[in-house]
Amino acid sequence: MSLHLHDVTVTLGKGESRTTALRKLDVTFRPGVLTALVGPSGSGKSTLLAVAGALLRPDEGQVLLNGADLAALTDRERARARRERIGYMFQSGNLLTGLTAEEQLLAAASLAGRRPRALRPKVRALLDEVGLGHRLAHRPDQLSGGERQRVALARALLVEPELLLVDEPTAAVDRARADDLTALIARTTHEHRCVTVVATHDPVVTNAADTTVDMQTHAPAATA
Amino acid sequence: MFLALLELKAARGRFLLMGSVVVLVSALVGIVSGFTTGLGDDTVSALRRLPATHVAFASGSKSDQFARSLIDVRTADGWSRENGAEATPLGVTITRGTTGRGTEVDLAAFGIVPGAFTDPGADDGKPLDPARPHGIVVSRQLLSEGVHVGDTLLIDRLGIRLNVVGSTGRSSYGHVPAAYVTADTWRQIRFTTPGAHGAVAADLPLQYSAVALRLPDGTDDTAIAVADRRHDTTTVPLETAFTAAPGYDGERLTMTSIQTFLFLIAPLVVGAFFAVWTVQRTPELALLRAMGASRRRLLGHTLTQAAVVVATGTAVGAALAAALGLLVGEKVPFSLPAGTLATTMIAVALVGLAGSALTLRRVTTVDPMTMLGAGR
Repeated sequence: MSLHLHDVTVTLGKGESRTTALRKLDVTFRPGVLTALVGPSGSGKSTLLAVAGALLRPDEGQVLLNGADLAALTDRERARARRERIGYMFQSGNLLTGLTAEEQLLAAASLAGRRPRALRPKVRALLDEVGLGHRLAHRPDQLSGGERQRVALARALLVEPELLLVDEPTAAVDRARADDLTALIARTTHEHRCVTVVATHDPVVTNAADTTVDMQTHAPAATA
Repeated sequence: MFLALLELKAARGRFLLMGSVVVLVSALVGIVSGFTTGLGDDTVSALRRLPATHVAFASGSKSDQFARSLIDVRTADGWSRENGAEATPLGVTITRGTTGRGTEVDLAAFGIVPGAFTDPGADDGKPLDPARPHGIVVSRQLLSEGVHVGDTLLIDRLGIRLNVVGSTGRSSYGHVPAAYVTADTWRQIRFTTPGAHGAVAADLPLQYSAVALRLPDGTDDTAIAVADRRHDTTTVPLETAFTAAPGYDGERLTMTSIQTFLFLIAPLVVGAFFAVWTVQRTPELALLRAMGASRRRLLGHTLTQAAVVVATGTAVGAALAAALGLLVGEKVPFSLPAGTLATTMIAVALVGLAGSALTLRRVTTVDPMTMLGAGR
């Protein structure tokens, strides 16, 4: 089980503002390994997440998730892959307004075509796992930044993803919570044996990662 | 569906507000529809009850024909000789009478030939009898205004005394309750000079407002035009004759204009709400797309929410309009049959949904990339 981006090139924008975000990128991500993407803004971290997450089709190259090329899928198939094979944790959690923590996960279950009611025990177990068993009925505006990120992580794990993509998880939380959250993401990666790719500027996350990829050189920057 | 309903529950304040607007718009459409039908009935129900297919007026009378047109009895006779046609004189005039108990009523006197196809008979009491020319059969509204079978009704200023011999169903003309008299009595009411008591029918012109016609199915316009030239008449279908009733066209135009504007406002209001709602939750729609929701699913999601709001709103609005109908009873010209109410509300719901459809393009084109740093 792995994610392999093979000779991926992505250009963004049109006309004079057209830029190459990724050029001939060739990189492999392993299951059970937390990989941090490092590099300055504009180096292509988020673009890599978008391509890996079937949100963006590369101009060239292959995005092989367990051997299946996500880049070759139709729009509908890519949406299905996102629902069933990929988990996302976006900046600031990005939860649905007005829904409780439990409902956030039930909504994701519904999107994935599962019967929400039947998944309720699993939903509660996941929220317990991320330390929010006591906050099931709290809405996003009643949760702290770190708690919102934990809900987003539990939501991402609900579909038992092969690939977990995380965008700047500590950007909106304080230092103490950032440490906890990073440790949780690392633990989850190891326990769930998913391919985890994190785009980050945060040295805490980089240090906690099993490996890093420098987006400027496209080379492993360090190995834990 | 599950997510759509979750969102409805979560944003119930906003949806309740929108639903209330739909309730008010649909109730208003229902009420206007009730008044349109009610006023229409109040103006022409007596004509609608006529079992005629056409009405022939004097040639040249272009508006308010029942008041202006005068047709000679020979014209009616001529029409009755047309192939397959049944024709009978019809007089229509609005007058005023007073019962022996001093109850004053307005009435639309319909002069008919007893036993002809225009004779409404009587639900209560006796029908008109040619042998008793001063009989009158009143419509039900006149009963509720205090006229009883057996009363004597004195036609104001003319000194004509009429015996109320029977009553028939609801019918009115020009917002005045209808009453039926013999054609001869009608001529007395129509042609007697006020104050000149004692005029006898034989001295009065043998003229009526129109000729009620029952033409065979499939009679074409050409044949009617030829007959019109022969009899110096202008013949129109019964429904067209409604416009000859006083105020009918103006009322219809006014009420229809209000309804039209409401039907234009409804989709705009619903569309504006869903446009704002969609813009407001564009990040959430992008999130759902990023999480794998297909465009089709988002469409279904949005339409489900719109359908719940619009359907619930129109149902409550319909109930309000119907309740108002029950509340006002027969005090005002309001008529909202179940069929009309259902049709009107379906139309409101459809235009409401059409309004929400204006936002669908934005829903389907939302970019999930905006969820990532590169898109922000």
